Amino acid sequence: MAPRGFLRLSEKSWFMLALIAPALLTLVLFQVIPIVVGANTSFRDWSLHDPKRTWVGLGNYAYVLGDSEFLRIVLPNTFGFMFATVLCSLVLGLLIALMLNKEFAGRRLIQSIILLPLMVAPVIAAIMIRWMFNDQFGIVNAILDVFGVAPIAWLTQRWTAFLVILLTDVWLWTPWFALILLAGLQSLPPEPFEAAQIDAASPWRTFRYITLPMLRPVIVVCVVIRSIDAFRTFDIVWTISGGGPARATEVFSIYAYVESFQFLNLGRGSAAAVIGAIIIVIFAMVLYRILNRFVEVSR
Amino acid sequence: MLKHYTRSCCGPLIAIAVGLMASAGMFPASAQEKELKIGYMKNPIQDASLDMAEKWAKANNVKLTRIPMAYSVFMEKVTSTLTSGTDQFDVIWHNDDWGQLWKKWLEPTDDVKGMENAAKWPLEAFINDDNKVTTVPMAHTVGTFFYRADLLQPNEVPKTFAELVSVSQRLQKEGKVKWGYVGGMSMNNTWFTFWWTMWANNCDILKPMFERDNAKLTAAKFEPAVTEPCHREIVEYWWDAIHTHKISPPGMTAYGRNEANAIFMAGDAAFTLVDSTHFGEFSDPKRSKIAGKVGMAPFPVGPRAQKPTSWNEIWGWAIPKGVPAERKKLAKDMLSTMMSDEAGQIEMWKKTGGPPPNVKLWPKLAADDKDFAALKHAVFDQTPITHSAYYFAEWPAVHKAYSDMAVAAISGKREDIPKVLADNVDKIRRAATGN
Repeated sequence: MAPRGFLRLSEKSWFMLALIAPALLTLVLFQVIPIVVGANTSFRDWSLHDPKRTWVGLGNYAYVLGDSEFLRIVLPNTFGFMFATVLCSLVLGLLIALMLNKEFAGRRLIQSIILLPLMVAPVIAAIMIRWMFNDQFGIVNAILDVFGVAPIAWLTQRWTAFLVILLTDVWLWTPWFALILLAGLQSLPPEPFEAAQIDAASPWRTFRYITLPMLRPVIVVCVVIRSIDAFRTFDIVWTISGGGPARATEVFSIYAYVESFQFLNLGRGSAAAVIGAIIIVIFAMVLYRILNRFVEVSR
Repeated sequence: MLKHYTRSCCGPLIAIAVGLMASAGMFPASAQEKELKIGYMKNPIQDASLDMAEKWAKANNVKLTRIPMAYSVFMEKVTSTLTSGTDQFDVIWHNDDWGQLWKKWLEPTDDVKGMENAAKWPLEAFINDDNKVTTVPMAHTVGTFFYRADLLQPNEVPKTFAELVSVSQRLQKEGKVKWGYVGGMSMNNTWFTFWWTMWANNCDILKPMFERDNAKLTAAKFEPAVTEPCHREIVEYWWDAIHTHKISPPGMTAYGRNEANAIFMAGDAAFTLVDSTHFGEFSDPKRSKIAGKVGMAPFPVGPRAQKPTSWNEIWGWAIPKGVPAERKKLAKDMLSTMMSDEAGQIEMWKKTGGPPPNVKLWPKLAADDKDFAALKHAVFDQTPITHSAYYFAEWPAVHKAYSDMAVAAISGKREDIPKVLADNVDKIRRAATGN
């Protein structure tokens, strides 16, 4: 009897399957299985020091969703941070990309310098920034002192601590936006810009009505990817403020980490992680649709 | 094509697999060497303690494999190893902070020779359900009040909270220091400000005060003591220290130990309180501007206390139950030798400031070493009012809830302190009961 369906694949198809098999295996081993295990943990009474593993249904989810701190502090902080960092990094990255898209002496050198933050590990950057903003030894207060500004205890109040975290993240991620937007700018066809020049359009109108609409697909991809990444930010916040003072800068990933690895309650920590994953999936889908509509309209 | 491809790949793949299996120890080595794997935190004291173990290992032809881990992952990593029943470590660092969490996973150590010379009080944190000790002390970790001996004579050192303010202000006014007292306040550094003053003011976190018996705490429904007057006083004390008297830096609510030590070692503060294990750092001229200028004294006392208290716990070594009997015996031999290595323990003290676990050494060491004499007077000659942590599973959550409450109270208005404390009673109780 001749082989059917899957087994009847051509030699070429088998070869292609063999080529993607390592990537697929890696994905299953290191993404799919941990997600399934984590999701399973979230339905169980699972503390690290005494893992009973008994089924508790939605108990852990009810705890997280009923935690007023999670709803009043953690989620607003997470979304606030995400919007602020993506917006600031996008605007600055776009400005840098526009600047680097022009010919001038030393362009390559400046391009390399601007990309330097991308080469710094976020934890290292965060430790450095924490000391730069130290109220006793920090360079920032030393500079402010020159201008007669009294020393500021940056990490002791919610908004100043948040500002320090935001600055660090924007500093780290602006080059990434700049790099991708620059690649987008350089791939735009020259004809519309030549036509605008012939029509004596001002630089602002050229940017507003030609550059920006044509660049929108690239911006959409950047914003969606970076928003998802910003939602799960952990290292910078943990190193700079630890979520403090008094949970004032706590974001979603810190909440999940503290439940799992400080309180050793893997069940609750996993439930928080699953809730976060659901939120970000819904958010990314909505964001992608909205931004995609902008792209469609602009075409 | 595929057959050819498969054949050509098979040979190298098998070779790699065999190599990996061999390197992973799946094939026994021809000559078995005895080995002990030690999971510990990278720290000068633990390294000095392991140097003692190394002497024993060389003499007994045992290979000692050190597996260092960062503090931030140590407890999680070792807990998961213990509960999974693997024998990844033969000996592990043990700390009273998580003493009770591991009690059923650890081998009793009562039978280790030399344990009779260990202080009994700190071992209470490591007792299992059969009333057996589950650790062998490595060094004492004692909260020590450090002062600048170049600025103050021993009789001028503050003995009360009020004197801590007045002496600090005098030194600040004279331009000798920028700050009076510096200590950590952020989560996990709560001991270095709030808690030592809490005990020194006859106060505690939960009721019944100073109780550490989990059964009694459960019976009392983990009632927080944070609205008691003694507690409000210490929060107000630190609020005043930062905002009114300005003897402590305004950024202190966000400080960990690194920031506090940096300020003290730069010579910018007159006083700090931290584990004596930092004495080695303070005395290192390469790192500290105040090396050789640091004195130790008993805790200043609060308005509700008559005499100084102390904070006296230990770091220890423990043996997981899952370790095979032969290696357990080997580990106990090693720990027994370390407990009786007087020269090694004295060397550890001199190198790192880690007080010896053998208490019989203390009088001798105090007679020969003025720093140890000062530490003995500051800590070991005082009676602790209670243990420096609680020993139930939800303790980390209580610690975090307390820390958040205290920092919020200090960061707000002074008149709001009672309200902040009252608002957090329920959060602390829920943290303690896991609800």
